Amino acid sequence: MSDFSDFWAGRDLWREPMIAGILAGAILGYIGVFIVLKRMVFVSAALSEISGVGVAFAFWLGAVMGVNPHQHAEVPVLLEATWFSLLFACAAAALFSFQPGHRKLAPETIVGLGYIIASALVLAILNSPRIAQEAHAVGDILFGNAVTVPRSQIYALAAASLAAVVVHALFFKELLFVSYDPETAVVQGVGVFKYELLLNLATAVVISVATRAVGALPVFAFTVIPAAAALMITERLRSTIVLSVTFGVVAAALGYYASWVEQLPTGASMVVVASLFLVPGLLKILRRNAV
Amino acid sequence: MELIRLEGAVIGYKTPLLPPLDLAVRAGATLGVLGPNGAGKTALLKSLLGLLPLMGGRRVCPQGRAPRVGYVPQRDRLDMSWPLTVLDVVLMGRVCMIGPIRRYTARDRSAARDALQEIGVGDLADRPLYALSGGQHQKVLIARAIAAEPELLVLDEPTSAMDPAAERMLLELVARLKQAHNLSVVLVTHQLTAVAGFATDVALVDRERRLFQVGPAHEMIDPQRLGQLYGREVRVAQVGGQTAVVIGDGAAK
Repeated sequence: MSDFSDFWAGRDLWREPMIAGILAGAILGYIGVFIVLKRMVFVSAALSEISGVGVAFAFWLGAVMGVNPHQHAEVPVLLEATWFSLLFACAAAALFSFQPGHRKLAPETIVGLGYIIASALVLAILNSPRIAQEAHAVGDILFGNAVTVPRSQIYALAAASLAAVVVHALFFKELLFVSYDPETAVVQGVGVFKYELLLNLATAVVISVATRAVGALPVFAFTVIPAAAALMITERLRSTIVLSVTFGVVAAALGYYASWVEQLPTGASMVVVASLFLVPGLLKILRRNAV
Repeated sequence: MELIRLEGAVIGYKTPLLPPLDLAVRAGATLGVLGPNGAGKTALLKSLLGLLPLMGGRRVCPQGRAPRVGYVPQRDRLDMSWPLTVLDVVLMGRVCMIGPIRRYTARDRSAARDALQEIGVGDLADRPLYALSGGQHQKVLIARAIAAEPELLVLDEPTSAMDPAAERMLLELVARLKQAHNLSVVLVTHQLTAVAGFATDVALVDRERRLFQVGPAHEMIDPQRLGQLYGREVRVAQVGGQTAVVIGDGAAK
């Protein structure tokens, strides 16, 4: 039996994770264009990590309250890890929307602080003896192991993606203006903080839900690599977006296939395949520099 | 009639940069804001536009509403690597007129192309941003400001890094636009020649000397006042019907 036949025969096993990966690749490929152009790539890493703190905190809180997280029927709705993940990510997104107004505290410093503190908190909570049994589950979420994805997470990811697309479709010209030239936007009466917050919240919701579905590593990669690859070979915004989404989708699908066939970690395979899309742009730059 | 007025305004970020000041932008006037690098000109401009909260005093819009502003930022603050065309950038000037949710209409595209045409760069509409020269980029930003159909055109250091001929052409362009659109203009610059012979009113600003003076251009473009501003001897002369300002070797008298 060929690799592909073997893969196809097992489609009942990979259908959900493949759909989740493709959805994540598409929406993060789109959002990534804004993230890369605004030079805030570490925002996605920080939001992934901070939403991970939300997940870890939910498990820890459940343990303190005596809830067994493996008995889904026993977990109160308000203690669901998804809510905490969303809450933490949205709070961080709101924080990132503020201009610090302090010359020694640049926005990237705040993002870096968020990332470092969140990483430390996740490690601290994961190593708490109270949630020793859940540490593996939380670790999967943080380090990416999109082998199995519950259908509920696909629905959540589809809903978050739809919400982000609707926000961008309704306010695209405002989001573009405040991202490209916030100073002029505010002079001309466009509410920069309002739209910056909207953009960051849409990003946070997608990253939070996608992190739970496919893991932090592919989420970070999908917000950076497809957009960077597209920007290196195109000159128009529309074609950049189309290419970035396409790269994200193809990287997710081929990455999953490669991980199945070669027995590799799924998240890492998706990232490696996505990286291949950087090659044409790098060749273009090399050729230009050689002239 | 005045468009914006600062009354007893204390401007600054954490500490006041200048003494409390009164400043008005009159309809149809061209206000030149002049001072050395780091003098507090941009802070004054931001306070005037309401971008920087006043530490004291108040900002008044005598018309009962803020004037429509076309803003031309310092071009080196903008990232030219964005995958935008010139038309994409000029259309941004229309965002505040359209309001949220609505898309650009054929009228907006036509207004943006007309603005480019008026500035003399109509043929650049579909060119990528990164392919523009510095001078072309500056003109595109002016076209974007004009596309906003402003009452007040504000230019922040528009002639920095320009050679004298390009600087002169740009100022002539702004003067032509002012006439054609019945605009008021605020021009912030550290270049004396950009203001002399162009502005109707001039504000002299220097944070170091805690100096703020404002008045008609013919009074402010004066060797003694400018000498005080720059701490050097300054000569002002009429050459071929234009005002020339020369900074001398010696200290101000």
